[in-house]
Amino acid sequence: MKAEDRELLQEFTPEQVAKLDSIIEKHKGQAGGLIPVLEEAQVCLEYLPLSVQKRIAAGLNLPLSRIYGVVTFYSFFTMTPRGKYTIRVCLGTACYVRGGKELTDALEKQFGIKDGETTADRLFTLESVRCLGACGLGPVVVVNEDVHGRVKPAKIKDVLSQYN
Amino acid sequence: MAKLTIDDLKKIKEKVHKEMALRDGDRRVKVTVHMGTCGIASGAKEVMDSLLEEIESAKVNDVIVTTSGCMGLCSREPLVTVEVVNQEPIKYEYVNPNKMRQIFKRHILAGEVQTPFVLAKGAEIVK
Amino acid sequence: MKIFRSHLLLCGGTGCHASGSPGVKSALLEEIVKRKLADEVKVVETGCNGFCALGPIMVVYPEGVIYISLKPEDMPELVEEHLVKGRVVEKLLYREPGTDKTIPTMQDIPFFAHQELRALKNRGLIDPEKIEEYIARDGYQGMAKALTEMTPEQVVQEILDSGLRGRGGAGFPTGLKWKFAAQSKGDVKYVLCNADEGDPGAFMDRSILEADPHSVLEGMVIAAKAIGSSHGYIYCRAEYPLAINRLNIAITQAKEAGLLGNDILGTGFNFDLEIYQGAGAFVCGEETALMTSIEGKRGMPRPRPPFPAVAGLWQKPSVLNNVETLANVGQIIQRGAKWHAAVGTEKSKGTKVFALTGDVNNVGLVEVPMGTTLGTIVYDIGGGIPNGKKFKAAQLGGPSGGCIPVQHLNASVDYEKVAELGAIMGSGGLIVMNEDKCAVDMARFFMDFCQDESCGKCTPCREGTKRMLDILTDITKGKGKPGDIELLEEMAEVIKNAALCGLGQTAPNPVLSTIRYFRKEYEDHIFEHRCRATVCSAMFKSPCQHTCPIEMDIPSYIALVREGRFEDAYKILLQTNPFPSVCGRVCDHKCQDKCRRANMDEPLAIKFLKRFITDNAPRPKTEPVPVTRKERIAVVGGGPAGLTAARDLALRGYKVTVFEELNKAGGMLYWGIPSYRLPRNILQGEIDDITSLGVEIRLNTRVGRDITFEQLEKDFDYYYLATGAHKSTKMGVPGEDLGNVFGGVEFLRDFNNNEDKWIKGEKSLGKKVAVIGGGNSAIDAARVALRLGAEVTILYRRLRADMPAAEEEIKAAEDEGIKIEYLVAPLKIEGAKGKVQSITCQRMQLGDFDSSGRRRPVPVDGAEFTLNLDAVIAAIGQVPDMSFIDKKIGVEINKWDCYTVNKGYKSRTTNPRYFAGGDAETGPDTVIAAIAAGHQAADDIDAAIREANGEPAYEKPPIEDIYVPLVIDDETTETPQVAMPELHHDARRANFAEVELGFSREDAIKEACRCLRCDASV
Repeated sequence: MKAEDRELLQEFTPEQVAKLDSIIEKHKGQAGGLIPVLEEAQVCLEYLPLSVQKRIAAGLNLPLSRIYGVVTFYSFFTMTPRGKYTIRVCLGTACYVRGGKELTDALEKQFGIKDGETTADRLFTLESVRCLGACGLGPVVVVNEDVHGRVKPAKIKDVLSQYN
Repeated sequence: MAKLTIDDLKKIKEKVHKEMALRDGDRRVKVTVHMGTCGIASGAKEVMDSLLEEIESAKVNDVIVTTSGCMGLCSREPLVTVEVVNQEPIKYEYVNPNKMRQIFKRHILAGEVQTPFVLAKGAEIVK
Repeated sequence: MKIFRSHLLLCGGTGCHASGSPGVKSALLEEIVKRKLADEVKVVETGCNGFCALGPIMVVYPEGVIYISLKPEDMPELVEEHLVKGRVVEKLLYREPGTDKTIPTMQDIPFFAHQELRALKNRGLIDPEKIEEYIARDGYQGMAKALTEMTPEQVVQEILDSGLRGRGGAGFPTGLKWKFAAQSKGDVKYVLCNADEGDPGAFMDRSILEADPHSVLEGMVIAAKAIGSSHGYIYCRAEYPLAINRLNIAITQAKEAGLLGNDILGTGFNFDLEIYQGAGAFVCGEETALMTSIEGKRGMPRPRPPFPAVAGLWQKPSVLNNVETLANVGQIIQRGAKWHAAVGTEKSKGTKVFALTGDVNNVGLVEVPMGTTLGTIVYDIGGGIPNGKKFKAAQLGGPSGGCIPVQHLNASVDYEKVAELGAIMGSGGLIVMNEDKCAVDMARFFMDFCQDESCGKCTPCREGTKRMLDILTDITKGKGKPGDIELLEEMAEVIKNAALCGLGQTAPNPVLSTIRYFRKEYEDHIFEHRCRATVCSAMFKSPCQHTCPIEMDIPSYIALVREGRFEDAYKILLQTNPFPSVCGRVCDHKCQDKCRRANMDEPLAIKFLKRFITDNAPRPKTEPVPVTRKERIAVVGGGPAGLTAARDLALRGYKVTVFEELNKAGGMLYWGIPSYRLPRNILQGEIDDITSLGVEIRLNTRVGRDITFEQLEKDFDYYYLATGAHKSTKMGVPGEDLGNVFGGVEFLRDFNNNEDKWIKGEKSLGKKVAVIGGGNSAIDAARVALRLGAEVTILYRRLRADMPAAEEEIKAAEDEGIKIEYLVAPLKIEGAKGKVQSITCQRMQLGDFDSSGRRRPVPVDGAEFTLNLDAVIAAIGQVPDMSFIDKKIGVEINKWDCYTVNKGYKSRTTNPRYFAGGDAETGPDTVIAAIAAGHQAADDIDAAIREANGEPAYEKPPIEDIYVPLVIDDETTETPQVAMPELHHDARRANFAEVELGFSREDAIKEACRCLRCDASV
């Protein structure tokens, strides 16, 4: 096994790597093919760490700097894994005094991750946000697009059980 | 579909007009669920599901269901248009699955327009 | 077989199940068992009976009573009342909806009626995933015509003649763009569609692509024919998955049908296209950046020339058109240039699609002829501003555009006019902002967006947006500095001129536009640390306190009410307000308009709580303050402004004398506000507190008549002129000088001065009275006239919502039986023997908008009518009476008959020893504004004296430290404001008893518990 394969296989399955290679193959030699490759690769791999970028650079015969430049330019691309669901806990004043912080603490404890991190099973990414303007409902938690109001630390498990 | 010619465009137009016209019997009612991003975000998909379930369990086959894009009034979504043969279309606003069920049972099957949920009747005019 | 006396048919259909019938069923069964009715009544679960939206639903037989929207907690009552006592539970009963409600047609609804559908002609009508339905509505006819009957030159000419301009924002003539590309030499040319709609608040293109994707494809084929291209791209942002999906379906269907690809419609013309997904970079909406992005690079713009028509994508000649532009093309070719040019203005032809969002009732997609007024879009189509808030401005063109404020609601929305007003048409995002939006914060928001999206290639944009953002952020945090506004303007000019592409060149627009229209707001932030919209929260504790002109510590006194510590709460009131029991009754409570709780249900009843404190706690005692300062101060005018200033100055050790022309102090509080709103003893109590400090009030003393200015200047060193606005504005109609025609304030003053005579009938208005006007004075006069036994009609020239009077006053007048006629204006008053007999009025209708954003009343020709009556009270406005001023004192009066405040000062007049404030300086305003003016004057007079003496500035003595607990409910449930108990309106006639009765202790504590404590800091 080659060194670059080892690096890739630390994070991805052999099937994913094979899929990545086929994506590269599909767009090889096509003018302007880099962005479609990155888009498809991200759909397949969920994120684009340096190991993937190296593979694409080699495959498309482009300098790594070019790949890195494009990945960091467009907001659609991410170099760190994100969960399937993003949990945003409102830490605006109204939510804060109603227990937003306790809620964050409970979530950090439950998942063993900190603000901004993603669970090992890639199900949840935890974030705190500024006031969402739903102060009357505090504390407020937003999971992807769904707004949940009056979420007590004791209630958070119920709320999250509908996401899997 | 075969490659079209200019004459074919006209023929398709006539054919679709004929097909889209409702008739007593096999195509008595047309229901349009407006499904742009705004409609879907406010629950048009759930409305559509409940409508299809109702049609299936009522075992009716003279109701056709179609989708369409945003009607413009995003703040009243989900919107549903019900066209019964020989009647003006009725547009319902703020539809949810329960309202959809009620519209199906009381308007589409029993013929009573559910006035409290109605936005308007008729269609927009294109000059 | 068991015989049951009742059957309860509970619906178990899907709908009722989903809305909770199982819970209702178990609660019902439990209750039946508990009441030992199991042998008498039977619960049956039935199938759906079609009232799903009202579920869970239950029919009780044998009566056949239908109950709807049941909840488990309703069951005990339902069983007790209906099954045990045999009484129907009214509140759960189903009522047949009014069948007489007529259903409007789509054209009856202003949202649809004012629109002109062209680009959106298929919206809501066709299934976007079926090409046949597009063809059935004349789809691809324009393309067929272009391919078979027209030369490329004719296509270009048709588009040129139509006057179509780019709908993406810049408004460049589409035909010209095509002409340049057609003239460029090259074997390969590209047609590109820009669907990278990235402005926050814009969704026109998404909606067109989702609802009618073929119209865009048709437009692209026609463009291809015009310039001689065989390949195209649609650059669509990845955030629009549904649009991409429907485009893909459309392209596949069109290819299968031979409407794309080789030999289209058998004409030999070839054109193929594909979708290119943008990966989330706002700058890629710029044409050269978009092309760079398709080439697979970072989407950075490149300098022009060469223009894309010469060297675009892969250096080949290219045209790039926006989605909406292309959606117009097919119809123009099919129906002709003239058809397109028939609507719109001289230079802006056709229609424009707007995404109408923000603080507007109808959010949605709107297509209107170019030149439609902004007011029509916001008020007729948009249905106005929610919750009775005021329109502030509309942002056009998102982060590249600018705002159009209220005074331009009549502006025609077309490329030229919009640019003249400092905004841009943009792609069509139209964000409506109400009075609760801060202009500086909006500018900061858009600058933050541009700074974030700047690609970084050119320095002016990369560094300039960052620096401008820093300044704006500082201003919103209360750290603005003098000169910041000028610096922003300077930097904006540099960036506009020097940036490489449209993003940078337009990024300063929102800043320039907000400075142009809301410079005062910037200055308030920088110099006063005030954000009047209460958005920039770094500058204040709570929105209510920040909104109060004297910044009363509202959260603290409410918290103390909650604790039952009413005496402490009273001390807090008096820290800032010498008239809390007055304000608890008659304040216009702007604080409540900004209460955060209103976002949830209703604002706190701050005014009522303030009154409760003063009604229920003993008033803290005031002690005389010894005179420690040698300067003597004269206050002219014994109203709230003068008395507040007198009190503040007395507290600082000055000897203050107040001169009052009339026989009672209080100004408008006594002479203008009737006693059923403000009992005399309440007002007198607060005035007594001020005199007990050592302030002397000389009643019946008119300065300039009873004491000359020479004498005044001999006896005193500094002077505060707070003489109010006590003269009614004339209506300017014939007959105004007849007997029994009163001015509003003159009538109220006469009544208050001769109350006995009026009540005994020695003075009388007669039986029928008309009051002209819609302000608080008009309502006060009307309600007094009613109490004197008259039949009263208020005549107002606009609508109820436009009345300046407080909503609760209008409602009280209506309750008491006062008739209000809207949209009428007086024409002439006629009478005999010098006394009024009738008034002739003109019916009005609403025209265009005035600078306050209200529609202007205009006469309806020929619609006049005459009312017979015995008295007319004209309360259309007040002005100060300046006839007492002696020119020799050198105090300047302006054209509105108000004191001029010297530039750079807040209360100092053109004579440095004379200060002025209150209604006589600002024109008629509120009590709380007058109190604020009094505080300001006291500060200014004291500061002027100390400066003249070379003394250090005054230091306020430390205020008593009152512990305010922070108690907040774990959960907040929706609860409306506690209602103020009132004297029944039947009991209000013929007496002047106070109408509002005041909160009980329970009411007050319950209301105080509603406070969300948004002042709490963590």
